[in-house]
Amino acid sequence: MEMTVPKADILVIDDTPENLNLLSSMLSDRGYKVRSVTKGSTGIRGAQTMPPDLILLDVNMPQMNGYEVCEHLKADDRTRDIPIIFISALETVSDKVKAFQAGGVDYITKPFQIEEVLARIETHLTLRQLQNQLRSQNEQLQQEIRERKHAEEKFAAIFRQSPNPIAIVTIPEGRFIEVNFSFLSMSGYTLDAVIGYSIAQLHLGHDSAAFLSRLQTNEPIHNLEFELLTRSGSVKSILLSLDHIEINGETYALMIANDITERKRLENEFISLVSHELRTPLTSMMGSLDLLSTGQLGSLTEQGQQVLNIGVKNAERLIRLINDILDLERIRSGKITMSKQSCNLAELMAQATEEMQSMADRSCIQLITEPLPILLYADPDRIVQTLTNLLSNAIKFSEAEAIVRMHAQPLTLNNRTSSVRISVTDQGRGIPANQLQTIFERFQQVDASDARQKGGTGLGLAICRNIVEQHHGKIWAESMISKGSTFHIELPLNVVLQ
Amino acid sequence: MKKQILIVDDEDDVRAIATLGLQMGAGWTVLTASSGAEGIAIAAQHQPDAILLDLMMPDMDGRATLQQLKQYPVTQSIPVILMTAKMQLSEQRSFNDLEVAAVFTKPFRPLTLAQQIIDVLTWV
Repeated sequence: MEMTVPKADILVIDDTPENLNLLSSMLSDRGYKVRSVTKGSTGIRGAQTMPPDLILLDVNMPQMNGYEVCEHLKADDRTRDIPIIFISALETVSDKVKAFQAGGVDYITKPFQIEEVLARIETHLTLRQLQNQLRSQNEQLQQEIRERKHAEEKFAAIFRQSPNPIAIVTIPEGRFIEVNFSFLSMSGYTLDAVIGYSIAQLHLGHDSAAFLSRLQTNEPIHNLEFELLTRSGSVKSILLSLDHIEINGETYALMIANDITERKRLENEFISLVSHELRTPLTSMMGSLDLLSTGQLGSLTEQGQQVLNIGVKNAERLIRLINDILDLERIRSGKITMSKQSCNLAELMAQATEEMQSMADRSCIQLITEPLPILLYADPDRIVQTLTNLLSNAIKFSEAEAIVRMHAQPLTLNNRTSSVRISVTDQGRGIPANQLQTIFERFQQVDASDARQKGGTGLGLAICRNIVEQHHGKIWAESMISKGSTFHIELPLNVVLQ
Repeated sequence: MKKQILIVDDEDDVRAIATLGLQMGAGWTVLTASSGAEGIAIAAQHQPDAILLDLMMPDMDGRATLQQLKQYPVTQSIPVILMTAKMQLSEQRSFNDLEVAAVFTKPFRPLTLAQQIIDVLTWV
């Protein structure tokens, strides 16, 4: 036998047994589960014990009339939400209003039409069901919102309170849309001074331009060393990592920094100390070899002389290396300030050429310099050091009979000569494109064996870059494999000392 | 003309090399001291033609030694040349305030040391 699940549980409260029986049998026939009582108080108790889905309530009853029963039910949490339909012979408007005021949802007048009663019951049951559905959906939604809010708060807290500075910027402009407290305290800026501004607008130091061009390549970045110029003008060393994130369909760059200023300071201090400790024994070593090589302390065999020369050559290389390390460290840490003065570029170019002429002659390289007479506000010694370094590299990496050329050209901006570009071109083996940037880093040579074969220290270009940047200029290289390379330096002609 | 030079340096080997260099390179007489205090005493006693003074020494460093040398009437007119391993050539400006004739960086070439001294002190 098929089990039929009752459609709904209906409580009928009426003091007239005939009405009660009629309604009961009629509803039962339609599949409703019916409970019928003749007294209001019994009805209330029944509804409290087991709340029905709907109540049909007679208005005219002794002891407690329908309105009173309704008010009782509406005052109780357990029964408040049960829809109540009044059934009464009274049919004035004020009776009906009273019924609705008491909390009824509908009003049926006797004598009633069966079909009308059923239709109204159906309507109110459906309404109630929809109401319940709405309520539970609402609760579910509220719960979801609470959970989401919780998750959001959790991640917002991680972002806000991360000990690592974090920033989110647009691509490709590099405009800040979100930064955390650590970022602000590291950079020294206030939130208002950062949000909406681009990396270029904030003047975050000389590494910004290179960083912006890397931002446009859409490649993630891992631990890029970046010298950050803070609001107060101090420089902090940071390691920067970047990846892309999508927010509302837009792609942004998520940057996380790591302040390594203190670590760098210790590192530099260490380099300085080591350099000093290395020089003292080298003084004795170099001196001993020099004195030996005079022959005044006894003559050496040819092989003995050869061994001595090896000793001298390598001691000299060690000294160069220590000098370069110390030089670089001091320029980087700002311990050496550029002593800028008005100077003629042509003289500096000539001086550098003169210094390198003998090296070029030894390697059978033709050195061609086209000096440009133009006044420059710069540290002459440091500019000569830079040019010498570039010429020395060009000569080192050229074959015999090749030409190394140095020339310069003034650059104009708004009809005014604002800067000068000095270029050193060789016909050497060239530099692979992927190394054109890194060669300006410390100990980055195209070929690791270069340091031994060419006598370089791997620090020359890093020193050049630091000197050029201290002059607010820039240095870069262009190259074609097996055709040659050109190193360019651009220097502003007249910049105010910082 | 034969000169007498005082070398003040706490490093035995550096003293020995400089001594040999000046003797072999120019035939000068060399006096040595391994500390600032000893250097001052020898300078006062022998009145050398010049003093090569190491900057970094324990106890009394080059600066302190120089200060004292410049205080005593018997030593104050002796030219002093500072020697340092901690400095780059480009930093010589930072010694402009000191009353020194010159600053030499280490490592130095022993055989040309005498000529360097002659150059900076403009000895004929």
